Amino acid sequence: MTKPIIEVKNLAKSFGKNEVLKDITEQVDSGQVIVVIGPSGGGKSTFLRCLNLLETPTSGEVDFDGENLTTLDTKRVNELREEMGMVFQGFNLFPNMTVLENIKLAPMKVKGINDAAATKRAHELLKQVNLDDHADAFPSSLSGGQAQRVAIARALAMDPKVMLFDEPTSALDPEMVGEVLNVMQELANQGMTMVVVTHEMGFAKSVADRVWFMADGYIQENNTPEAFFDNPQTERAQDFLSKILM
Amino acid sequence: MKKRLVLFFALVLALVTGFTTMTATTANAATDTSLSKVQKKGTLVMGTSPDYPPYEFQATVHGKTKIVGMDVAVGEKIAKDMGVKLVVKSMSFDSLLVALQTGKVDMVISGMNPTPARRKNVDFTHTYYQGGYSIVINKSDKGIYKNKDSFVNKTIGAQTGSTMYNESKKQTSGTTVKGMTSVSDLILALQSHKIQGVAMEKPSAQAYVANNKELAAIPSDFNLSASDTSASVAFKKGSTALVTAANKSVDQIKKQNLVNKTYLPAAGKYLKTNTVNTSMFHYWKAFLTGIEYTLIITVCSVFFGFIIGVILALARMGQGGAVKTGLRWLATAYVEFIRGTPMMVQVMFVYFGLGLIVNLPALTSGIIAISLNSGAYVAEYIRGGINSVDDGQTEAARSLGMSSGLSMRYVILPQALKNIWPSLGNEFITLIKDSSIVSIIGVSELIFQSNIVRSDTYRGVAPIAVIMVLYFILTFTASRILNYFERRMQHD
Repeated sequence: MTKPIIEVKNLAKSFGKNEVLKDITEQVDSGQVIVVIGPSGGGKSTFLRCLNLLETPTSGEVDFDGENLTTLDTKRVNELREEMGMVFQGFNLFPNMTVLENIKLAPMKVKGINDAAATKRAHELLKQVNLDDHADAFPSSLSGGQAQRVAIARALAMDPKVMLFDEPTSALDPEMVGEVLNVMQELANQGMTMVVVTHEMGFAKSVADRVWFMADGYIQENNTPEAFFDNPQTERAQDFLSKILM
Repeated sequence: MKKRLVLFFALVLALVTGFTTMTATTANAATDTSLSKVQKKGTLVMGTSPDYPPYEFQATVHGKTKIVGMDVAVGEKIAKDMGVKLVVKSMSFDSLLVALQTGKVDMVISGMNPTPARRKNVDFTHTYYQGGYSIVINKSDKGIYKNKDSFVNKTIGAQTGSTMYNESKKQTSGTTVKGMTSVSDLILALQSHKIQGVAMEKPSAQAYVANNKELAAIPSDFNLSASDTSASVAFKKGSTALVTAANKSVDQIKKQNLVNKTYLPAAGKYLKTNTVNTSMFHYWKAFLTGIEYTLIITVCSVFFGFIIGVILALARMGQGGAVKTGLRWLATAYVEFIRGTPMMVQVMFVYFGLGLIVNLPALTSGIIAISLNSGAYVAEYIRGGINSVDDGQTEAARSLGMSSGLSMRYVILPQALKNIWPSLGNEFITLIKDSSIVSIIGVSELIFQSNIVRSDTYRGVAPIAVIMVLYFILTFTASRILNYFERRMQHD
C-alpha cells in the first residue's frame, strides 16, 4: 500500500469558545476522490481550509506528503500550498486581471515560469475547461459557471498533487452546476487526488471513492458511497439523508 | 488614557527643552570660531525679509529677480570686508531670528531694531542706520489723521513681530492694532479701507508714497528710544568674533555716511525701474518659477508620501509578534500625531528643528515635511483600501502558493489602489494647494512668488488673481489626468 498523501491526526479547531472541529483523524491516499458531506455548520469548510493551513489548527497535525504542516515555517508552507490547489465557493478570481492573467500570475511570480510558457500552459488549461475563447475576458463578464471553471484552471496551473474544492457549486445557478461538475469529473478520471466539500449527492455517488460524513465537529462516518447512501451506519447520517433525499 | 496624555506631553516638553539646550550649547561653543568658520566656508549667509523697500525688496535685474536694497548693500560691505561672498536668503520676518539661532543663516539684516528683548537672544552690531517711524495713510484721509493719536476707534496696521507693532500697541489708546506678515498686505488692507494707517519706518514709508499716488505719509510721533528706531545687524548669540569684524564695516558705513549717500539712492533706482512696468505679463518668469517649484514640491511629496503611506499602512495592519505589535503601535502613533498637528508647524519644525542636526535647504525641508504629512493621510486611505478588498482574494492568492508579500503586491494592492484612487487624487490636488505652506520658509513656489510680485509692483490684487487662475489650471489639469487613469482601471 502506498503512503497516504494527506494524513490528519487529532485535528481540532476553535474560534474563540466555539469548537468547530473536535477530533479528526483521517487520511487521503494518492488518486482518491473524497467527498465530504454533512449539515451546514458542521465544520466541513473549516476542515478543508485546515488542510492547506488557510486556517491554523488549534491542535493536532496535518501531514502533507510526509511533512507536518503545523510545524513548518511560512516559506515551506507556501511551497507546499503550490501542490494543493483550492477552489472556492465564491470563485475568488482576481477582478483586475483577464482570465489569462488570472491563470498565469502564480506560475510566473511563484515558479518563475516565463511568459510564453505560462501563456501556452494557460491556453491548454482553458481548452480543458472549454473556455479558451474567453482568455482575454475580465471575470466580471463571465457567468458563475464560467468563472468557477476558470478558477479550477487557475488552481491546476500550479500542477498540484491534490485539489481541494470548497462547495464549488453552491453559489451557482442550477443550470450551471453541470458544467462545473463535468470538469471535476474529468479531473477525477485523470487520476487527480481530490477532497470535495459539496451538497451534490449525485456527484458523491458517481465520482467519490470514499464519502466522509461530517457533523458536530467529527467525521461521523467514512465509507464507500454505495455503503453510505444505501446503508448509513450512524443515526446522525440516517437523519441527514432522510432529510435531503426526500 | 489621561496618564498617557500626561506622559505624551512630558515627552513633547522634553523634546522641546532638548532642542533649546542644544541651541544654547552650540551657540556657546561657537564663541571663538564663528569668524573663522565663515571664512573657511567662504560665504556669509544673510537672512532677510524682502518686502520692505527700500531696506530690502525684490527687483527684476536683467530679467532675473534679485533681492536688493540698502540692507543688501550693507551685507555686501560686511562680507567683502571679511573676504567672503554674500549669500542672501529670504524668509518671513518672523522666521528670521529662528533661522539665525538654528544656523540657517549667519546674520540677519532686515531693518531690524536692536531692542532689549531681541538682545537676549542674539548679538547686535552697532547701528548702521538711524531711522524713525511714519504712518502711511490714504491720501484722501490726509486732513483727518495727524499722528498716532488720531486713530481712536480706528485700526493701525504693522508688520507682525516688528518693533512698530509692539510700539503701536503700547503707545496708542483706543486704537486697534492689526498685525500682518507682509507690508504689501498691509498696504492692500489700507487701500481697501480695512485699516486706516500703516506704521512703518520712514524710508519705507517714503518709498511707498513715492510709488503710489494714492498714499500719503504722516509723522508717527511715537516716543521712541534710539534702539527702537535704529537698524542693526544680528548675529547668533556668542559669536563675538563675527560681531567685532562686522562692527568695523558698520563703523565705516556710519563714518562715511554710506547709507544716505550711496545705498539709499541705489535702492531708489531699483524701485524706479521696478514700477515702470507693473503689468502681470512682465512678471511671467516669476510666476513660471512659482509653478515650477509648486509642481516639484507636489510631485516629489506625492511620490514619497505614497511610499511612506504604503509602509505605514502595512505596519499598521501587522498582526502578531512583539516586533509587529511595536511597529503597529509606532505607525498608529505617527499617523495620529501628524494628523493632530498643523502642517505649517511641521514644515517649520523640519526646517528649523532638523536644521540643528543637518543643514537642509528649504526646498528639501519642505518636501520632507509635506511627504511626511501626506504619508500619514495616504496611509489611512491605503489601509481603508486594503480592508475593502475581499478576504477571498488573499485566500485565493495564498492557496496558489503566493507569499503574503506577493499577494499584497500583485493581488491586493492593485485592487486597493483602484478603490482608493478618487481619495488619492483628492490628496494630490490638496497637495498642489497645500504646498503653498512652504512659502513661509522661503521656497519660491507660487504664493511666495506672488508676494514678491506684489511687493515689487505695489499692486495688491492682480498677482493674487493671477495665481488663483494658475492654481486652478494646475488642479484642473491634474484632476483630468487622474480621471483618465481611473477610467483605465475600470473593468466592470
